[in-house]
Amino acid sequence: MDSGLPTLYRPGDSWLHRRHPLTKLAYAASLAVAGFAAPWPAAAWFLLGALTLPLAAWARLARPLGRALLWSLAPLAAALLIIHGLFNPANHTILASWGELTLGQEGLIYALATLGRLAGALGASLLCLYTTPPGDLMTALQQRGLPAGLAYVLISTLQLLPLMRRRAQAILAAQQARGLRLEGNLLIRARALLPAVIPLVVGALLDVEERALALESRGFSRPGPRTSLQAVPDTALDRSLRWALAAGALVTLVWRWWP
Amino acid sequence: MSLANSIRKEFTTLSLVLIPVGMVLNIVVGQLASTLKLPIFLDSIGTMLVALLVGPWAGALTGFLGNLIWGLITDPVAAPFALVALVIGLVTGLLARVGFFRQWWQAGVSGVIVTLALAPVAILIRTYLFGGVTGSGADFLTAYLLQVGQDLFGAVVVTVITSNLADKVVTALLAWGLVKYLPQRFTARFPGAERVIG
Amino acid sequence: MIELEALSFTYIGGNRPALQAVSLSVAAGEFVVVLGANGAGKTSLCHALTGYIPHFYRGQLTGQARLDGRNTQSLSLAEIVEVAGQVFQNPANQISGVRLTVSEEVAFGLENLAVPAAAMPARIKAALALTGLSALADRSPYALSGGEQQRLALASVLVMQPRLLVLDEPTSMLDPQGARDILLAVAALRQTGLTVVLAEHRLELAAALASRVIVLADGRIVRDGAPQEVLADPALEDYGLIPLRYTQAARLAQARGLWPAQAPMPVTLESAAAGFRRVLRGAA
Ligand SMILES: Nc1ncnc2c1ncn2[C@@H]1O[C@H](COP(=O)(O)OP(=O)(O)OP(=O)(O)O)[C@@H](O)[C@H]1O
Ligand SMILES: [Mg+2]
Repeated sequence: MDSGLPTLYRPGDSWLHRRHPLTKLAYAASLAVAGFAAPWPAAAWFLLGALTLPLAAWARLARPLGRALLWSLAPLAAALLIIHGLFNPANHTILASWGELTLGQEGLIYALATLGRLAGALGASLLCLYTTPPGDLMTALQQRGLPAGLAYVLISTLQLLPLMRRRAQAILAAQQARGLRLEGNLLIRARALLPAVIPLVVGALLDVEERALALESRGFSRPGPRTSLQAVPDTALDRSLRWALAAGALVTLVWRWWP
Repeated sequence: MSLANSIRKEFTTLSLVLIPVGMVLNIVVGQLASTLKLPIFLDSIGTMLVALLVGPWAGALTGFLGNLIWGLITDPVAAPFALVALVIGLVTGLLARVGFFRQWWQAGVSGVIVTLALAPVAILIRTYLFGGVTGSGADFLTAYLLQVGQDLFGAVVVTVITSNLADKVVTALLAWGLVKYLPQRFTARFPGAERVIG
Repeated sequence: MIELEALSFTYIGGNRPALQAVSLSVAAGEFVVVLGANGAGKTSLCHALTGYIPHFYRGQLTGQARLDGRNTQSLSLAEIVEVAGQVFQNPANQISGVRLTVSEEVAFGLENLAVPAAAMPARIKAALALTGLSALADRSPYALSGGEQQRLALASVLVMQPRLLVLDEPTSMLDPQGARDILLAVAALRQTGLTVVLAEHRLELAAALASRVIVLADGRIVRDGAPQEVLADPALEDYGLIPLRYTQAARLAQARGLWPAQAPMPVTLESAAAGFRRVLRGAA
C-alpha cells in the first residue's frame, strides 16, 4: 500500500496480523492491567519478556518494537533511575557511592518496577497497533457499538497529523524566507512563535467548514446503523483468546486487592 | 436542559471535524514550542480552542483523546496524562460558558484557574504512576527539591504548579486571541464563540 | 426536480442578503450553469439547493426550496443527500480522512447509508470507471493529485446515486488538465440523465456544457436562458463576468461593419469559426 499512511501499522500476514482487532486490543489492555496490578515488581518485565517480545519476534516485529521501546522510554528511564536511585528518601541499603551521591537499592527497585509497568503496557499496545490496520480496528469497534462520530474523531486524527506537520513545516520555511529567525535568545525565539502558529491554526480552522460540509454530503449525520465494505472476520480462537485474556486480568486484580 | 442533552448538543458534524484538528494542533504546536526551545509546552492550545469554540465536553474529549492517541503512537508518558488534558478542556469550556473568557485579563486569570484545577490530577498521576518523573526537563526541579530535603509528594506539587502556570496562562491568552482574531463568519458557526467574543 | 420560491437568505454575521428573492425551477435532466462574479451568491445558491442552507448555515431565511416537491427545511440533511449530492471547491477538504484507499473512500458514503456490503463493489467500480479512477482504486486518497482528488470527490458523491448533482466551482483550484478531466467526467454524466447544477465564473465552461445558463449578481438572478442568448449578452460585463473571446471578437467585427448586424453572436468555437468564415468570404 501507499505511503502517506500516518499510522504505526506494518503490513504483514503473521498469525498476529490475522487475529481479530479486538483480540489484540484485549491483549494490550489485559497486559497493562496485569502489569500494574501484580504485586510482584518484576511481573511487568516478565510479561514483556515472556509474551510480548516473543510474539513480536514471531510476527517479525521484534526489532522495530525493541527500538521503539528504547527510544520512547530512554529519557524516562534515565530520570527514574537517577531520581529514585540517588534521591529517593526511602533509600537505606546503599549499593554504591560516588562522593556525595549514593545509589540506594529501594529506589532502584522502585524505578525498575515503574519502568517495567510502563514498558509492558507500551510494548503490548505498540504490538497491537503494529499488526492492526486502523480501519479494521474502527470497523470492529463500530460493529460492537462505537458511535460513528467517535470512530471518525479517532481515525481522522491519525490521518490529519502528518498533513498538519507538513503544513507547519511549509509555514516555517516560508516565514524563514521572509526573515523570521528561529535561533537566538529567548526573546527572539518567542517572537517567532506567533508568525508560525497563527497561519497554522487559522488555516486549519478555516478548512473545518468545508470538510464538515463534505462529510454531510456523504451521509455522515444519518442516524442509525452503518454497514461496512470490509468484513473483519472473527474466529472461535479469537473469542476464546479474549475470554482468557479477560480472565487473566481479572485474576491479577483479585489477587492484588482481595482483602 | 438535561446533562445528556447538553453533551449531545456539542457534538455536531462541525465540532466532530473540529475536534481532531484541535488534537493535532496540540501535538504540532507543542512540537513547535519545543523546536523553538521555549520554556512552555503550548500543547493544550487545540484543547482550549475547541473548549472556547464549542464547549466543555468537546474540549474535554479533545484533550483526553489527543493525549491518549499521542501516548499510543509516540510518547507513552502522555497517555495517563489524558486525564489532566480532559480537566483542561472541561474547565476552560466551563469558564468560557460562565462568561469568564471575554477580556484578555479574564483569559489570563482563567489560565491560573485551569492550572489549579489540573494540579491535583497531575500530581497524583505523576507521583503514583511515574514515581514523580516524566522524562522531561521539569524532572531537574523535582531532583533538586528531593536533594534539598523535600519529600517526593511535596517536590511533585511544586514541580507541577511551576511548570504549568506560565504555560496555561500563555496558552489561554493565545487561544482567546485566536478566537477573537478569526473571522466572525467562521466563529458564528460555533455555539461557544459568542461568549468569548460578545 | 428542484424549485426555489422567492428564496432570500442572510447569513448570521452577514450585513446583506446573500440571496435575494431567488425563484428558479430546474427540471430533471437539465444541465444548468450558474455564472456570477466573486460574492455574487453562487455558493449560497448551491447550498440552498442542497439544503445546507438552512440546515448547516444558519441565518435569516424567507421563501422556500423544494426538492422533489418536498420543502428542504422539513427534510434532514441525511435524507437530502440520498437525492442531491454536492461537490465542493477544495479537493483536499473533501477526503473523509477516515479511509485508507480510494475505493474505501468511495465506499464511505454507502456505509453511512447502510447499503448492504454485497451491493457495494459493483457501485464503487462503476463510480470509479465514470471518473477515470479505476487504476487508482488501491491508492491512498492523500497520494493523489489535486485533479484526481477532485474526481474522487465526484466519484464519492456519484456512488450514492443522487438524481441532482450540484458542483460549486469544482475546477477553480485545479490546473488546466485537472480541470479538463473533471469537466469531461461531468459532461459524460449528461448522458445518464442526471440533473446537474454547476457554479462557475468562466463563461467558456458554461458554453461547452450547459443546456441552460443562469447569471447571478448581488444575490439576484439577472439572466436565465439558453446559453446562446445569455452568453452573448453584452451586459454580462456589467455583472463582473469576462465575456467570451469569440463574442468579443465578433462584436469588434460588428463595430467595423464586418459582422452582419442581425447575425447572432457566437458562443462556441464552432459557431465563431463558421461566422468568421462567412465574414472572410464576404471580404474576399
Ligand atoms: N458563511 C458566511 N457568512 C457570512 N456571509 C457569507 C458567508 N458566505 C458567504 N457570505 C456572503 O454572502 C455573499 C455571497 O457569497 P457566496 O459565497 O455565495 O458568493 P460566490 O458567488 O460563491 O463567490 P465566490 O466566487 O467568491 O465563491 C457574499 O457577500 C459573502 O460575503
Ligand atoms: Mg463560491
